[in-house]
Amino acid sequence: MRHLLLVVALAAVAASSTACATVKPWQRGQLANRCMQFDPDGGFAAFRGHWQESREGASGGSGLQGGGCGCK
Amino acid sequence: MRAVASLLFLLGLSTQAFAQDAITPAPAIELPAEAGAPIALASLKGKVVLIDVWASWCVPCKAAFPAYDEMYRKYKDRGFEVLAVNVDEKRADAERFLRDRRHVLKVVFDPKGEAPLKFKVRGMPTSYLVDKRGNIRFAHEGFTAKDVALYERRIEALLAEAP
Amino acid sequence: MAASRLRQALPLLLGGVILAGAVAWSRGAVAQQQEPALNIQFHGFTDSRGVTVLSPTVDLDRDFTDRTGLRFRFGVDAISAASDSCIRCHAEGAHNQRVYTSASFVRKYGDTAVTVGGEISKEQFYLANTAMTSISRTFNDANTTVAGGYSFSWNRPTLHPAEFAENQFAQNAYVSLTQTLTRSTIAQFGYEISTVNGYQSNPFLRALLNGVRTVGEAPDHRLRHTLTARLRQALPKDTYLEGDYRYYTDDWDLTAHSFSVGLSHYFTPHLSVTGTYRQHSQTGTYFYAPAYTGSPEFFTADFRLFPFDSKLYTGRVVYTPEGRLFSGMFPEGSGVTFQYEYYNADNGFEALTVSTGLRIPLKRR
Repeated sequence: MRHLLLVVALAAVAASSTACATVKPWQRGQLANRCMQFDPDGGFAAFRGHWQESREGASGGSGLQGGGCGCK
Repeated sequence: MRAVASLLFLLGLSTQAFAQDAITPAPAIELPAEAGAPIALASLKGKVVLIDVWASWCVPCKAAFPAYDEMYRKYKDRGFEVLAVNVDEKRADAERFLRDRRHVLKVVFDPKGEAPLKFKVRGMPTSYLVDKRGNIRFAHEGFTAKDVALYERRIEALLAEAP
Repeated sequence: MAASRLRQALPLLLGGVILAGAVAWSRGAVAQQQEPALNIQFHGFTDSRGVTVLSPTVDLDRDFTDRTGLRFRFGVDAISAASDSCIRCHAEGAHNQRVYTSASFVRKYGDTAVTVGGEISKEQFYLANTAMTSISRTFNDANTTVAGGYSFSWNRPTLHPAEFAENQFAQNAYVSLTQTLTRSTIAQFGYEISTVNGYQSNPFLRALLNGVRTVGEAPDHRLRHTLTARLRQALPKDTYLEGDYRYYTDDWDLTAHSFSVGLSHYFTPHLSVTGTYRQHSQTGTYFYAPAYTGSPEFFTADFRLFPFDSKLYTGRVVYTPEGRLFSGMFPEGSGVTFQYEYYNADNGFEALTVSTGLRIPLKRR
């Protein structure tokens, strides 16, 4: 139940955010910089996620997962 | 239950109509050029004008720039003009881009974004073809190499029209 | 108990993805585009458990039309393990190799992008097969993006030194919202849920049970939740701030907080340097113990399920020269990245990674 509320809360934020002041397409100069992207070097983030998952108990948060590995 | 309610709410979100290609007069713009003196769109009446809204940070804009310059060289003797409206907030970024690219098309600077606001630009880059009477005839968003043939067909059609 | 949890989780899984899908299909504005590029990377990892991994990868992102694209990935992990779990029987250390490949196809319908893909990962003693799909939609002049995805994995761990393989099935679903807040601020929120069913013990690690080293026994079912919040902020003078937070919890009672903050600066328009600090802290699972007595239902020596805190320090340099890289060998816009990371946990564990990558943009079609 608690988790369903979380999903609904996210959806509500999504709905309300469409009413936010918008940045026009020609004003996106700073947003276009690679440092403003969430994972500019996908392979680097994937490698880090992989070794962290083989050494830490938590995982996820970066989109879809592969099937893991038999890491020792 | 709450999930269904929020689903319906989201589906009811108002939609934004996409910019249609319609025959409307091009908004009046007057912007400083590279040499410093301003260029007004009104002064180009009687010519077919390609207005390209571009920025140094926009990747497809970098591919479009030399293509538009080529088109300008090809058709300028027949009454064709290209007005490349730069919307970089920092002039230095635009100048770094232009420094290494030989061009004959006319670049004008619009750091405050007055032109894209008047033209209701929805994405970068967007280009407009304005006919000899000053009406917007075609609007095109984005750029790929395949677009060049399409542009040339449209430019030739507009050049063939009476002023 | 496990079956009722699964029944509770399934509608949530489906609900989350359907909700994201419905939001994505309602009308919106301009779509964003991923730039086509070829990425060649080389990663190296070494840790205090005696494991060293060298990992070359190739990543190709290419578009066929302005509406379709293909993403292809291939990598090899050359693993040499001289860890306590291997040295027991392999005094000279053990070598393993993991080969993985993935492909995904993207199709855009107006402002919606649909992706379908899969991944296969094969190594000695483990095989993983994954199928995945995701959908994303932009709204509001591309200021808002809603995305959702689902993946299904069939994994086969081999119970080395025994020859037989167990089965493991994992399902994973996520929803995310990305929102531009100002011209210089962008935030992302995400929720992910995952269920893992089947063999989840670690065949290589032995727990101390009544003084005897015994292969651990973990529950057959795991339900995991992850919440993430991320921020990117452009600051004056070509400087950028990044912040990421992840909250994790599962039904094995393992809870973790991971927080990272970083700063990037462009020393020239072509050279950027980034420093990042990440702090991770986790509890242990409910069946965690340093040693066990009696006949516990679950027991484990898997260090990942133990409580600990850790710190990660990352330094990265990206060089994107104007004109051409290496005097004309690579097209304009190519760049190289160098990264160094040091990881330190309060249980004494340490790791080091060194990575390098070359990015070559491809022509758009």
